Amino acid sequence: MLVIATSDKGGTGRSVTSCNVAYRRALQGSDVCYLDFDFGSPTSGAIFSIDPVSRGTEGGGLHSYLQGKIAEPQRIDVWRQTDRETLRSRPPGAGRLVLLPGDQGGGEFSMTKDILQRCTKLFVRLLEEFDLCVVDLSAGRSYAAELVLAATAQQELRGVPHRWLVFHRWTRQHVIAASGLVYGRRGLIEAGAERGHDSQVLADSIRFVRTAVVNPDSEELAGLRPTQVVWLLDCNKDLQELARQHQLGRTMVLATIPLDPVLQMREQLISDRDVWASQIANAATVAAFDQLARRIADDAAWDEL
Amino acid sequence: MHDGKWHWGGRDPSNSVSDAEQLLCIMYPASAVASFKLDIPDATADDVLDALSNLGDAVEVPRLLVRVITSYLRTYTDENGASLFSGGSYFHSDEPGREPTADQANLDVVDSFSMSVSLMLATIGFARVFRTTVRREDLRAEIDEMEALASRRLTAAMVGLLRSFTVKVFPPDSPAGRTLINTVNQGDAPPRIVVADLQRALREVRAGIRDFTIGSGRTTELDNPNRLFECGWAWGVVKDAPEIATDDIGPQPQGVAQPDPYLYFTVNALDGIADLFSERTTVLGLLSEEQVRLAQALRLRWELTQSYWATIGSFGQERWPLEDLPWRTTDEKESDYFSLLVTSMVVQDLHRRRATDSDLRRVGEILEELAERGRITRRATHEDQAIRLHEPGVGLSLDGSEELGGPRLRWQVSDYAAVVLKRALKVAGMARSTELRDTMTALVDDVWAHVLRRRIPSGDAQNLWDSPRNVFTAIDAKDDHQAPSWYFTERIVECLVEAANLISGSPLRSSRLAAIALDLLNEAEHLFDDELLSSSSEVGPAMRDSLLHTQASLVRAREVLSTRPGTAFVLAGEVLRELDRLTVARREATGAT
Repeated sequence: MLVIATSDKGGTGRSVTSCNVAYRRALQGSDVCYLDFDFGSPTSGAIFSIDPVSRGTEGGGLHSYLQGKIAEPQRIDVWRQTDRETLRSRPPGAGRLVLLPGDQGGGEFSMTKDILQRCTKLFVRLLEEFDLCVVDLSAGRSYAAELVLAATAQQELRGVPHRWLVFHRWTRQHVIAASGLVYGRRGLIEAGAERGHDSQVLADSIRFVRTAVVNPDSEELAGLRPTQVVWLLDCNKDLQELARQHQLGRTMVLATIPLDPVLQMREQLISDRDVWASQIANAATVAAFDQLARRIADDAAWDEL
Repeated sequence: MHDGKWHWGGRDPSNSVSDAEQLLCIMYPASAVASFKLDIPDATADDVLDALSNLGDAVEVPRLLVRVITSYLRTYTDENGASLFSGGSYFHSDEPGREPTADQANLDVVDSFSMSVSLMLATIGFARVFRTTVRREDLRAEIDEMEALASRRLTAAMVGLLRSFTVKVFPPDSPAGRTLINTVNQGDAPPRIVVADLQRALREVRAGIRDFTIGSGRTTELDNPNRLFECGWAWGVVKDAPEIATDDIGPQPQGVAQPDPYLYFTVNALDGIADLFSERTTVLGLLSEEQVRLAQALRLRWELTQSYWATIGSFGQERWPLEDLPWRTTDEKESDYFSLLVTSMVVQDLHRRRATDSDLRRVGEILEELAERGRITRRATHEDQAIRLHEPGVGLSLDGSEELGGPRLRWQVSDYAAVVLKRALKVAGMARSTELRDTMTALVDDVWAHVLRRRIPSGDAQNLWDSPRNVFTAIDAKDDHQAPSWYFTERIVECLVEAANLISGSPLRSSRLAAIALDLLNEAEHLFDDELLSSSSEVGPAMRDSLLHTQASLVRAREVLSTRPGTAFVLAGEVLRELDRLTVARREATGAT
């Protein structure tokens, strides 16, 4: 299955969430690969704590491959090459976790027929090898997004399930922006239809992920003044109504990721050890990642009303 | 829910009444409380979802309801397409040693008509809204099917209610006549005068009944002006009730019930019928044209019946017959429960007439006394007869049920506490003075404390009702109170809905308090202006903050003066104190003290 992660605005926690979901999914036993399609700023290496590729690779990444400079993009086995000791060595029962980094200093490029063909070929090959391919796009409308939309509409990839996750923070601006990215002019659905997608089918394969959500009921907020809590609850209600009007209400949401100090300060994978041994991360965050990782492939969660 | 499967039935095995009650425990609040919104998954309240998490998430719950309601509708439709309103396991035998026959268990009962009216209206409204959020064809087809079945059952239930209404006519010197005269004659007037007064008071009701064109209860005997009468609902379809020409709802069953009105079934029918012309029903346009016609006919009976019982219950210039506890029915049965039922109708009638607080206060006092006599707000002695009101409840013999062979049937009613609670809430909601509101709220609190203790303490049905043994220790421990009584639980849910609507309204406004608040506010504003005038424009940050804060309080106080005079009062008070501090400080400075 192909999962494409995107967002309208930057700073939504798209990359760090999708990396964590790939990691969780691998822990759950699937073979997972992660494609860094954020060509302007390919930094997923940093999230996986793989220092040599923390700003993209110099050894022939996805840019070079798509532009036809090399025959195969570089692959990095995260279990083996991560710098974090707690993540190294694959836990028993876990699947493969492979990173396909972008090129350092690669930059955006426009789509040509050849690039499209190479991209499609890559997806087909990876989908044969892996259970789940996570494609992390950059924020906003990008050539990479056009490319993926076009590739998934190709004959070779028809019939392969592909699902879109649109990340947004739980604020008015982000809600409106995310809605625009999907339903607006030149949004995903309109652009997809131009590339040959059935707009209804495409719409059905899009879900939203709310990130850095402040839960007014949570224990962490016990220190707030009552007036602040009342205000927060009301804001939350307003936002829910706004989200509903913009067609990203509850039924369109696949997961809600709570605000977490670790994710705020340092974008990294959250291991079970961070929760239980050092207790720097919240259990609720990991639970949300875990749940998202399961729901991605759970058909019932994608069922239409 | 058990293992993802819905379980019907509770203390009594599944039957058309109990199953409707079970569904109404969710559907009634879902249709009557605005924040529920089960029909719009994107807008369902979070706490509602938390409470229903056992049934699934925001998307699964409405889909489950569609499936379960459809299954209810299919179960209670026979092969000829007729809707079944059978009492089933709620029927008991009135003759020891003989069990009800299968034919008897299939008899239709007014409780089922009434519950079905409420449930079907809730269902149709739910279907209309939920359908708009659904795009999938198969799901839409399911919803449409549910709505069609529900609409058909609604028509059938209305026809059932029209065919079980009855008017009993009797001469003043019959036993029934004498009892009625004794009841209404609370002074010492000669019977002849009482009859004449009563006839005069009931003139309109009598005329209304003579205008009936469809259904049961039509009679020529009322043309004789010397006869007395009673009207209301029998326990089921009345014997020889004519069929009603309407849309196809399948064969209409023959009635067997004796044409005698029962207070219990009358109150029940009235409650169900009231939903037919609620604001929601009208706004959402839930009724078809044919149903509107039937609803009109029912409304006429609803108004006449309420008016009749209110007239009887509060007859005369002196003590109301209702205040003479316990009530005595014309078939010479006495119980506080009957007083309670008549009170219910009087409350409804007062509501309809927008009565004054003085009438309401009298009803409130009766409710207080009934709560005491029912040992809700008083402790019961060990062999207290009042306990029997709650467990096993009052038994009503269903006259005419024996005609199908088998024993005469009995209907057991044990909702005494729930009825007291519901009517007390109603009166509290109607009160205009704070004193009456306060008295009634206190009664509601007491009854609620009693009801809360009667929840089932453990097991699957934990926190559902009803386990009267928790309160009345004299009740035999062998009675099984592990399974939920949907009968009682549904009635408590109705009370909770009533309470929710009462609380979400705005608080009572006391005109006295508003006048005082206005005076205070005037003084505060005047002093504040004076302060502004006398202090120089360069006052420093501390003073500026204080003045800004004071001004904000004054603005806020003006804003809420008419809606929340108490709040305005306190805000003005704070301002006055703040300003006084400044004044005192100044006097210190000038050495005036």
